[in-house]
Amino acid sequence: MLEVKNLSVSFYTPKGEVEAVRNVSFTLKAGEVLAVVGESGCGKSVLCKSIMKLLPSSAKIKSGSICINGVDITGYGEQEMRKMRGKIFSMIFQDPMTALNPTMPVGAQIAEAVKVHRPRISKAELKCQVIELMALVGIDRPEERMKLYPYHFSGGMRQRSVMAIALAGYPDILFADEPTTALDVTIQGQILDLLRDIQRRLKTATVFVTHDLGVVARVADRVAVMYAGKIVEIGTADEIFYDPRHPYTWGLMRSLPAFSKGKDTLYTIPGMPPTMINPPKGDAFACRNEYALAIDYEEEPPMFRVTDTHYAATWLLDERAPKIESPVAGLYR
Amino acid sequence: MRRFLTFLISIFLLSAVVFYMSRLAPGDPLVSYYGDRVEKMSPAEREWAEEKLGLDDPLSIQYIRWLENVFHGDFGISYKYKMDVLEVIRGRIGNTLILGGVGFLLIFVFSLLLGIFCAWHEDRMIDRVICKAGTIISCIPEFWLSLVLILVFSVNLQWLPSGGAYTIGREGDAGDRIWHLILPMIIVVINHLWYYAYMIRNKLLEEVRADYVLLARSKGLKKRNIMFRHCLQNIIPSYLSIMAISVPHILGGTYIIETVFSYPGLGTLSYESARYQDYNLLMVLCIMSGILVIVCNMIAQTINERIDPRVKMNELVCTMDITSEITGVAGMPDAADTAEVTRV
Amino acid sequence: MKEEEILLDVQHLSHIFPITRKISVRAVDDVSFKIRRGEIFGLVGESGSGKSTVARCVMNIYKPSGGRIIYKGVDVCDSRQFRKNKRMLQTTRQIIFQDSDSSLDQRMKVCDIISEPMRIQHMTPPRGTMRAEAEFQMHYVGLNADYLDKYPSELSGGQRQRVAIARALVMEPELLVADEPVAALDVSIQAQIVNLFRHLQKEHGFSFLFIAHDLAMVEFLCDRVGVMYRGKLVETAPVKELFANPKHPYTKRLLSAIPIPNPRIERQKGL
Repeated sequence: MLEVKNLSVSFYTPKGEVEAVRNVSFTLKAGEVLAVVGESGCGKSVLCKSIMKLLPSSAKIKSGSICINGVDITGYGEQEMRKMRGKIFSMIFQDPMTALNPTMPVGAQIAEAVKVHRPRISKAELKCQVIELMALVGIDRPEERMKLYPYHFSGGMRQRSVMAIALAGYPDILFADEPTTALDVTIQGQILDLLRDIQRRLKTATVFVTHDLGVVARVADRVAVMYAGKIVEIGTADEIFYDPRHPYTWGLMRSLPAFSKGKDTLYTIPGMPPTMINPPKGDAFACRNEYALAIDYEEEPPMFRVTDTHYAATWLLDERAPKIESPVAGLYR
Repeated sequence: MRRFLTFLISIFLLSAVVFYMSRLAPGDPLVSYYGDRVEKMSPAEREWAEEKLGLDDPLSIQYIRWLENVFHGDFGISYKYKMDVLEVIRGRIGNTLILGGVGFLLIFVFSLLLGIFCAWHEDRMIDRVICKAGTIISCIPEFWLSLVLILVFSVNLQWLPSGGAYTIGREGDAGDRIWHLILPMIIVVINHLWYYAYMIRNKLLEEVRADYVLLARSKGLKKRNIMFRHCLQNIIPSYLSIMAISVPHILGGTYIIETVFSYPGLGTLSYESARYQDYNLLMVLCIMSGILVIVCNMIAQTINERIDPRVKMNELVCTMDITSEITGVAGMPDAADTAEVTRV
Repeated sequence: MKEEEILLDVQHLSHIFPITRKISVRAVDDVSFKIRRGEIFGLVGESGSGKSTVARCVMNIYKPSGGRIIYKGVDVCDSRQFRKNKRMLQTTRQIIFQDSDSSLDQRMKVCDIISEPMRIQHMTPPRGTMRAEAEFQMHYVGLNADYLDKYPSELSGGQRQRVAIARALVMEPELLVADEPVAALDVSIQAQIVNLFRHLQKEHGFSFLFIAHDLAMVEFLCDRVGVMYRGKLVETAPVKELFANPKHPYTKRLLSAIPIPNPRIERQKGL
């Protein structure tokens, strides 16, 4: 469905080149949910936006290729991309507060998205379509509510409206950029269930960006862990949660408050993520890694195969490396 | 109601300040009434003249008398023109309204177009050139620019007239009037254009960077549609309110330009009245400007209140019955229904 | 609960925000709870549940519409009692806000921000100079002295929040109120700040009213928890009991909504 190969994206700022995404490869199959996890600033939302070409003009795709259904779209211009947006892929954002135009009724904003793909739709049909979409995302009494403005809506309702807009063209791929981070926990649950439900019904492949491992567990079929612009570990949800191999994934797991239950302090990964201007030589995670080997400071680890679906970029998987017991092995026993 | 009262008080204070200030300024008001004859007057004649114009009383009494007359609709006569002040103004106000009003409209339209154009071509060569040029031009004092244009177009090229509102003897000819308007109008527009265009450009760019534009793009909308249907619509209210405040600002600019072009409008009139101590005329002109400023500010304030989120907040509460249902967790009993659970 | 143990006693607190002459919002509705000395009390609830309003009433930022707040035997809502004990109330209660970006004066240096409460109260700094005092507090919250002469805008979110904590601690408070102190921070920084709170509370022994919507942090940090829902306090319980055995239907709903980082359990939930 979607195949990204060796993608690198850089921002050119006055301070220098920011390497936001470095040599990222992954595939997305039809109808599956891939969760992308990592700390803020690790490049996970840049990755989504660069696939949709929604980045500002200061960002450039340096190398790599993006293929959708076997067609290479890396070199596509704005015209061609526009025709694909909404139809092939669509996106929902973190903050439903700002993602809707405050001065336009919600129904009109959804209608606009429908019209893009069917410009000659009749008025009555358009209204039907909008109501159908609002019902799809679980907005009750859509006929009354389509005339309301975003500020009449609560956060959860706004996120549902954004979803209705994103789904208006029945896209094959949905990018969800931290869609529940700004929401309350009970609303978050509802939105996640809705996403899962819609994804099953419409067979939409989803790339779900988040920093919350709980959310990942809830929605993901496969998980990609990102650190400093690179995917450091990728595998099925079960493989990542029950058999993680990369020290950074271990660190993320150990940082969960549930892991520190009954202990005096919460675990935190020591140090800070590196700046993406001049990333360090070798493994970017080496200086925060308690299991770092000498080679980590010298050479970037390649992706080691664990199983056919599970890969991790750490020298610990090299056959010459010492065997280390995972510190989170006992978490789910 | 309260606003109207504030309005009256401000006008009253303004009139008092202008009244005292104009009389404190050095100069001889008799000159404007009698012209050169003043120099040949004997002291007795002078006294008689001053008494006739009511200039011999203490200032406060003069002011009270002026106020009294104003309440009866009598604004006094202009010393220079020896006519009722309102008559004098009536003869000139049309010219200023044409110059200021049309100029204002042109600024309004052109700055909108220019602002959109620059925002559209953000950071490309053309945008940068316009930005730089606009900043430089808007820094040039208007009187200097007027003189340069007069020098180029009237003196050297002799394409356009250098001043006045019409060629003498062709008062009724509309074409001739427009001919005379071109130069001053250009100055009025050029001088203010960039200020507002730049504002539009920046406000538009601010909107373009908002999240909802990203969503609009991700649903496949064209850039043109996003710009006009979403962004422009959102900045228009604040643009309107700023334009309302700037009416006096633009009109004030025309005053100076009128003087340079000796265009017979209120600007030249104010200049003359101040110069020749034509007190009655000066008072009315000042108060008129004052009223204009205050009214425009009030209009701006009203527009602003209309788009104030707090006003929307009130609406929000009115639709509370809907929202509370939305926020409420479905199937969740209301807190009030179940007793509080406390364990210590 | 013994009387002398109790530091803060909130009785039937209500707060109404008038919006227009006719319409008003009942943000806090008949809320009562007690905080003992040296206890960490967590107040959780979703946005708009009124938890921040409670904190602001406790700190005399809002004047409550009803009820009483007794702090060390003083009714802080009573203006006569407030005036009499003004100094005590102002020095021994401190607050930390969510957004340290706007709660720290952008034009003041870190060193001045931290020592400002002492200057306002005309206190002689126990460590000689204001600067030495600020340096000590900085060190205490895990920042080194290099930051003393920086401006808040030069610091990261986590560092700014540490400065806000240092400013609160300089007065040696008996009650520290923190209104969503970690909500605006990155997850890994959140954990650091929560660790810091826990450590500081052990050292100082102050009582701590911790307001949050993140239940995991509350579970880790707090001794007792109150759950707020639509302006009402629906349940108060010791933290272990609350999480193991929630009684109120809303609490149950809230707890079950937290996604657990375990795909097998989560998958069963959806079915």
